[in-house]
Amino acid sequence: MGPKALMIAAFAVTTMVCLGIAQTAKPPADKWEAPADAAAKPNPEAQNPDAPAVGRKLYMRTCVGCHEEDGSGKDTGAANLRSSEVQSQSDGALFWKVSNGNTAAGMPSFASLPETDRWDVVTFLRTLKDSSDKGSPGSGGKKEGAPPSRQNHRL
Amino acid sequence: MPKLLPCLLLLVLALPACAQEDAPYFVTYDHHLEEPGNLELEMNSTTGVPRSGQRAYIAPFAELQYGVNRWWTSELYLEGQSTAGDSTIFTGWRLESRFRPLAAEHAINPVFYLEYENINEASRIQKEIVGKAPLDFEPNSELRQAHAHELEAKLILSSDVNHWNIAENFIVERNLSQEEGFEFGYALATSRRLTQSVSPHPCRLCRENFVAGVEFYGGVGSTKSLGLQQTAHYAAPVLAWAISDKSTLSLSPAMGLTRYSNPVLLRVGYSYEIRGFRNKLRKLFRSH
Repeated sequence: MGPKALMIAAFAVTTMVCLGIAQTAKPPADKWEAPADAAAKPNPEAQNPDAPAVGRKLYMRTCVGCHEEDGSGKDTGAANLRSSEVQSQSDGALFWKVSNGNTAAGMPSFASLPETDRWDVVTFLRTLKDSSDKGSPGSGGKKEGAPPSRQNHRL
Repeated sequence: MPKLLPCLLLLVLALPACAQEDAPYFVTYDHHLEEPGNLELEMNSTTGVPRSGQRAYIAPFAELQYGVNRWWTSELYLEGQSTAGDSTIFTGWRLESRFRPLAAEHAINPVFYLEYENINEASRIQKEIVGKAPLDFEPNSELRQAHAHELEAKLILSSDVNHWNIAENFIVERNLSQEEGFEFGYALATSRRLTQSVSPHPCRLCRENFVAGVEFYGGVGSTKSLGLQQTAHYAAPVLAWAISDKSTLSLSPAMGLTRYSNPVLLRVGYSYEIRGFRNKLRKLFRSH
């Protein structure tokens, strides 16, 4: 086997190993829910008039790549943040999810952001509420091919 | 340089993982991949100010970076080169993939990088510096005849630490067209946003939209002759400005640290992100 063939074989094997490692990643849990005490936490930024504007900037910096500008995630396949399934959750629950993430389902942890920034993001998320949504949990913002449980563990 | 690496690693291990930042690097890679289904279009250029007796050049290149899924980003490069008093030519293409095996954030996040290059010896983009040989300065008409099929692998280690990104790349390259042995190189970088505070008011020319840092990169010889003799090394401050929510302008003047380096390499880049590209493409084809 010549050096060229050896290199191509090494390239192929390394690629397969990388793919294999990635494929064995832990599958997403069926349900992604915040603990009751975390969900009950009040939002200290809820009354801050600047919080939605600051939260929007942080959202545009860190979340928009997956959830899109309007929060719908319709073109990226990420959770629909406008849906009643997301909007019916408490600020504390959303804060917990932003902080802890669900990496198996593709949602990173943003625990590294200052706590106030994370609350500002949650406050901004409330401004995304879908006006066309009828309010029944799981009914709004359903994406093509993505059942509610799939969306739920991604935010 | 050998003393710098343990210090960086120690720093990374000693501090907790921190915020994600968009790194402004031109040569060094960090662990942040493109979001799945998104396409990033980049136009970059490397302008070389060579030593006396050599000709200045500009090497533009286009990058199409696509997030295949959350652990795999693929990228296509198309590159060219124009030399003062000579000609403008197409110098080839590169296809690379980056794999991130660990999805969660860790103190050190590894990424595996594999690249195939189909270029010629007139290539000047200098996306990585490896081995020893300085750039050839024969006419483009001669250089373009010498084709190089190369494979390159990198181990990327990157960390987000207290609002800083720290990245280390270890590079090995093999030219399949001629026997040069395995060539080695490195790239080290760190960067941070100029301010962590976020203003509630809209602004573009404010510090929160700038990320600054510094890169060090160079070659460390090959299996035929390992060492720092006759190698090129650069120190490069980098600055990136988010000019909109989807586009970034980057600048990096790299200073050559050895007599085998160009005295100055000026790198300029513009990137634009198309979010949800995959689904937009699907819809486009479904509608016809």
